[in-house]
Amino acid sequence: MTQVPEQARGVIALDPVACTSCMICVRECPDWCIEIDSHTEEVTEPGARRPRFVAVLDRFAIDWGLCMYCGICVEVCPFDALFWSPEHDYPASEPGGLVQETQRLADWLPSVPQR
Amino acid sequence: MSVYAVADAPGIRVHVADLGMACCAVEFAAALGRGLLVEAPDDGEPSARVLVVSGTVTDVLAPSVLAAWEALPAPKAAMSFGACSNTGGPYWDSYSVTKGVDQVIPVHSYVPGCPPRPEALIDAIVELAASA
Ligand code: SF4
Ligand code: SF4
Ligand code: SF4
Repeated sequence: MTQVPEQARGVIALDPVACTSCMICVRECPDWCIEIDSHTEEVTEPGARRPRFVAVLDRFAIDWGLCMYCGICVEVCPFDALFWSPEHDYPASEPGGLVQETQRLADWLPSVPQR
Repeated sequence: MSVYAVADAPGIRVHVADLGMACCAVEFAAALGRGLLVEAPDDGEPSARVLVVSGTVTDVLAPSVLAAWEALPAPKAAMSFGACSNTGGPYWDSYSVTKGVDQVIPVHSYVPGCPPRPEALIDAIVELAASA
């Protein structure tokens, strides 16, 4: 990969542990290029008065073929789950090859400059 | 069409037909301006012939893109450079924008970005030359 400044907006990394599947990024993205699937699980904690319901992330995908790298998703995420990384060398060789799923997005995390 | 050498990969000489259709084309100029790509003499077989479509393709212009692709002698490859030519990008909902240049010509490399960096152009050229 040809070197670029570390603050370059090359790709967006996802921290799937921090993501609460709140869908705010999905709804704010001007290109509609984020897709999320999630489900709710009931959690009963000892001593609690009633069970809690938590959202569990099943799928987080970004279509880099569509993304305009505006950073709105990074800005609006209330849970600090999205980060800019300078990695830019990920061309695809087939249509749809730029749709990247949770694990691939999480794999960019170590390349995020400061967190 | 011009012949370029990649500054960081001395063995690679590419014939590039640059179809600059919108803002992404500026990054092609930036790659030249910064010396990442340098013009080379047109002697002998190139490592690859690449049509670089950078920018917004509209339905009106699509036939010209096809003509440019057909005019390029084989062996050749096409690069879609940037969100607009990849999928329509920010204009995904526009009536007049082609939703991906791959509806018109075969694409061998889709480079993400709006615009992609000049470095991404270089990396994609090197990859296309290696697989040619
Ligand atoms: S950077 Fe902009 S276009 Fe890309 S996923 Fe985030 S909000 Fe959508
Ligand atoms: S805004 Fe943040 S926490 Fe909410 S779904 Fe998007 S990435 Fe996850
Ligand atoms: S992808 Fe972005 S920078 Fe490139 S031509 Fe389209 S709008 Fe312009």
